[in-house]
Amino acid sequence: MNTHPVLQVENLDVRYGSFQAVRQVSFEVQPGEIFGLLGPNGAGKTSTLSAIEGLLIPSGGTIHVAGYDSRRQPLYARASMGVQLQSTSFQAELTISEIIRLYAGIHGVTLSKERLAQILDDIRLGDAAGKRFGQLSGGQQQRVSLVIATIHNPTLLLMDEPTTGLDPQSRRQLWERIEAMRDKGHAILLTTHSMEEAESVCDRIAIIDHGQIITIDTPQAIIDDNRGRPEVIRASRRGRITLEDVFIGLTGAAIRS
Amino acid sequence: MSTTITAPAKTTTPSAPAVTLPKPATVFNNLLRADLITQWRNRRATFLVLLIPAVILISWKGLVPKFGSAFVLANCITVGLNAIGLMGYTNSIARDRDKGVFQRLRITPAPRWTIMVSRLTVQLLMIAIVTTILFIVGYQADHIVMQPSGYALAFCVAIAGGAVYLSLGQVIVGLIHNAETVNVVTRLVYFIFIMVGMFGSLGMLGDAINKVSNWSPYGTVERILANALNNVWTNTTTIALLATIGYTLLFTIIGIRYFRWQSSK
Repeated sequence: MNTHPVLQVENLDVRYGSFQAVRQVSFEVQPGEIFGLLGPNGAGKTSTLSAIEGLLIPSGGTIHVAGYDSRRQPLYARASMGVQLQSTSFQAELTISEIIRLYAGIHGVTLSKERLAQILDDIRLGDAAGKRFGQLSGGQQQRVSLVIATIHNPTLLLMDEPTTGLDPQSRRQLWERIEAMRDKGHAILLTTHSMEEAESVCDRIAIIDHGQIITIDTPQAIIDDNRGRPEVIRASRRGRITLEDVFIGLTGAAIRS
Repeated sequence: MSTTITAPAKTTTPSAPAVTLPKPATVFNNLLRADLITQWRNRRATFLVLLIPAVILISWKGLVPKFGSAFVLANCITVGLNAIGLMGYTNSIARDRDKGVFQRLRITPAPRWTIMVSRLTVQLLMIAIVTTILFIVGYQADHIVMQPSGYALAFCVAIAGGAVYLSLGQVIVGLIHNAETVNVVTRLVYFIFIMVGMFGSLGMLGDAINKVSNWSPYGTVERILANALNNVWTNTTTIALLATIGYTLLFTIIGIRYFRWQSSK
């Protein structure tokens, strides 16, 4: 099995003027792994993800995607990843099939009519091919976004809060698709506010706060390592220590802006 | 023919199969097709861009004997170029930036220049269409007939002149990062350009405004268009052309320097 990391982030720093949003963040994501990046609002999750996606230039550190330096070889790094943004917007005038065809073309993937129809059928949107993206429900939009993010079979999939706003059925279906991708050897990096989902789906997680990673391990190991901490015990409400208790214990109970 | 480019050497230990990049031409073709569809689906707005100069051209029929066919036609084409650059291009960029369309495109392996050049290509096509239609309207409504070489030269000059307003539009989306403000500013600039440019060049706003108008981005484009239509090329025309190129370069530099792919909401 290939054991080289698909994503290597080393000593990442992100600054917005005088504010340092991310400081010295380092982690790796292996092939066939779902890696969760958890943190309260404003902790630095989206900034970290944006730096990996190439949407912002880090003030320090290095990022390698599938072995490509994201600053020196940005196009190759971006071609190796698929991204599902937190709020996705596509050209309002284009239909679903036109959007899928556009993004496939941008990645150098040629789609025949039959293949496109099959893709739409697979996500149960065969009847919606002529609809505009804005006419779809949240769950349908999420399915289209995932298809577009994975149309070129990327080695790394980045997902920023993919289940936000989805009903339980859509959420369940999305996780099944993500797990199926992991089983095929894709590496997945995601952010989520749902500790239950992170605990049940992620192979490893990193908790980030004030721009720094405060712990990184498997969900169970993080729970086990922190279950004796007084602040975690104080946060526990169900008689047993959960990942959410550890998260609250480590990052504090105060609401972030 | 292959549509992809093979990966160069990686900078660290390889961890995955080498990726292949799509050729820039492939990316550009896909973007252009999408932008053309978008333009076609917005044909109502396109029609309005054409309507204003066409209405002016028809209503100025009485001015043709006094000011000349070339002057009237050149003014109307300039108004059309203004509308394309300021209203069409600028607002579409501001709207898509605001909605996050550019953010989505930026996380693909599309070289960034292909995203903008595709948009500009569509607008240059619009300029060609609007100019041709105004030639036809001028002929049908005002019986304006120029020499074929005049039409051909004016057609080329319209493309060059349109670049001034596209670059001016780029300045506006570069300096203003809010879509609603961009919308308001483009309408205001469009209105000022038309009023000062058209009425100034007719001498209705006094000598001082006339001089300003003549050397404004409106006046220089209008002048080279009129001289191109007349098949006349003087030193003043050359200076107007150089001024037009100068404006385009200046606006392009500022527009690109301050452009942000993400809006400020």
